[in-house]
Amino acid sequence: MATEYFLRMGDGQKIFMTKEDILADIAAGCADAADLGDIPTLSEDEMDHMLDIITAPGRIVGVEPGMEVPVTHDIGAIRIDGDQGNSGVGIPASRLVGSMIHERAFGADTMELGHIDYSFKPVKPVISQEQQTMEVCQQNMVIPMLYGAMPNMGLYYTPDGPFENPGDLMKAFKISEAQESIQKAGDHGIRDMVWIMQKLQKVGSDGVNFDTIGAAGDGDMYASLNAIEALRKEFPGMYINAGMAGELVLGMHGDLEYDGTRLAGLWPHEQVLLAEKAGANTFGPVCNTNTSKTSAWNMGRSVTFTKAAVEASSIPCHADMGMGVGGIPMLETPPIDAVTRASKAIVEIAGVDGI
Amino acid sequence: MWFFPHGCKGGCNTANEELFKTLSDAVVSCKKDDVIAAVEKAKGKAPAVELIDNGLAAGMNEVGVLFERGKLFLPHVMMAADAMSAGVEMLQDELGSSGGASSKLGVIVNGTVEGDVHDIGKAIVSTMLQAAGFEVHDIGRDVPVQNFIDKIKETNADMVGLSALMTTTLQGQKEVIELLKENGLRDKVKVMVGGAPATDAWAKKCGADCYAENASEAVAKAKELLL
Repeated sequence: MATEYFLRMGDGQKIFMTKEDILADIAAGCADAADLGDIPTLSEDEMDHMLDIITAPGRIVGVEPGMEVPVTHDIGAIRIDGDQGNSGVGIPASRLVGSMIHERAFGADTMELGHIDYSFKPVKPVISQEQQTMEVCQQNMVIPMLYGAMPNMGLYYTPDGPFENPGDLMKAFKISEAQESIQKAGDHGIRDMVWIMQKLQKVGSDGVNFDTIGAAGDGDMYASLNAIEALRKEFPGMYINAGMAGELVLGMHGDLEYDGTRLAGLWPHEQVLLAEKAGANTFGPVCNTNTSKTSAWNMGRSVTFTKAAVEASSIPCHADMGMGVGGIPMLETPPIDAVTRASKAIVEIAGVDGI
Repeated sequence: MWFFPHGCKGGCNTANEELFKTLSDAVVSCKKDDVIAAVEKAKGKAPAVELIDNGLAAGMNEVGVLFERGKLFLPHVMMAADAMSAGVEMLQDELGSSGGASSKLGVIVNGTVEGDVHDIGKAIVSTMLQAAGFEVHDIGRDVPVQNFIDKIKETNADMVGLSALMTTTLQGQKEVIELLKENGLRDKVKVMVGGAPATDAWAKKCGADCYAENASEAVAKAKELLL
């Protein structure tokens, strides 16, 4: 009987497969990405390397010496204080303490301050508090401290915001009205994001992390890229990370463009070029995990997409890795075996510059 | 929207194949005028059921594939669906005389469970289901458990779609299922769960009939369960 190796499904379930089956799943995941993105698949050597990573005997794996990359944590400031409802560990601690623990105990290379709602829009009414906290963090910390939030255009549509919900309009076949609403929400979002970051730059923020760009489709990306462009113009030395929500920009509007390029339907290797053009310093490629597929399939797909983005990019790529992205299973606290394997693969095979 | 569940009815000779392709291409173009012109031209040259099944519906399936591949987008899906509806409408008279059956695929109540304000993914699923031919009642987000039951009764729904985007609200899907049982509706109503933290394993655990990874899969799973 052939030896079987432990790995996981995308939902975290433990499974056992032979080397041949694992390799076949890696190849299928790579092929899916290559087909969708019209990009090269991984070489046989790279797939073999991924197989070695997946079948390595230890519970955790790590990159080879010299291959280490910088790591940062989105919303890490509340990771300590937050409970399991928001991926935290429930230890009472201020955002300053949370950030300092990440800097001094967990070895984070950069950090970000984040609001509990973690979207730009709700920051507006509490901007003074965010400024004060940012200032205190900057006074106490050494590593670069950014401000992080999601563009989250969903908050601009009814019933949460002033613009008619394009989902409702679309279902009523009011297509041009839906597109108009998306455009208006995007323009409003640009103003909000720029205003918030102007305030935070005044108190010494090192920059901004746009987290989950495109979560609400192409309108979300339109707003983010234009906000990045405006901020770069106003703050030439500001550090800007453009992190994506998924591997594909969903076409909610369908015709929105940035600098002559249609945003809907862009894959990571195409997204990065626009992020770079807008003025981002780093780009966060993302590939969502399919919970019905194995981690071999998901890692193959994720690394293929990410590698193409790294190769197309002339700015550093810091891949988004975690719960349900980057080939890591969709679990509130993802298992360490899967996290370290996906991370090693994304660094050693895709060649990312950071995580 | 209309549905014709069968394949190439009556066989597909070359002339018919061209006819069907013209209809299919017109739907993929997402232009209502093109579809109307194509139907006008095709009328009477093949049974209406075949024109719809092998032409218009085949085009709509192609639109679904292109959406999944990031080549066509939500507005296009809706435009194509609208165009197809217009085409089917033009064939209504012939459908009656040829004995062709046409009907909605089924009635689906779709909503995001209580405590969860996420709307966009669920809205895309509703749109795609509607475009595929289901009668969809999207009851929004942060929906109280009882509202699902009330809407299911009101619309005599065949299926309920439950969305949740947070691990903290996932339990709400199970609460709806439990209330379906209490109301004696569980055997009659299929349950689909979705959203970022939902998985196949969760669907089994909470007693749902299926889990859908994305909007296209939601359409496929709904067809699987209801047809």
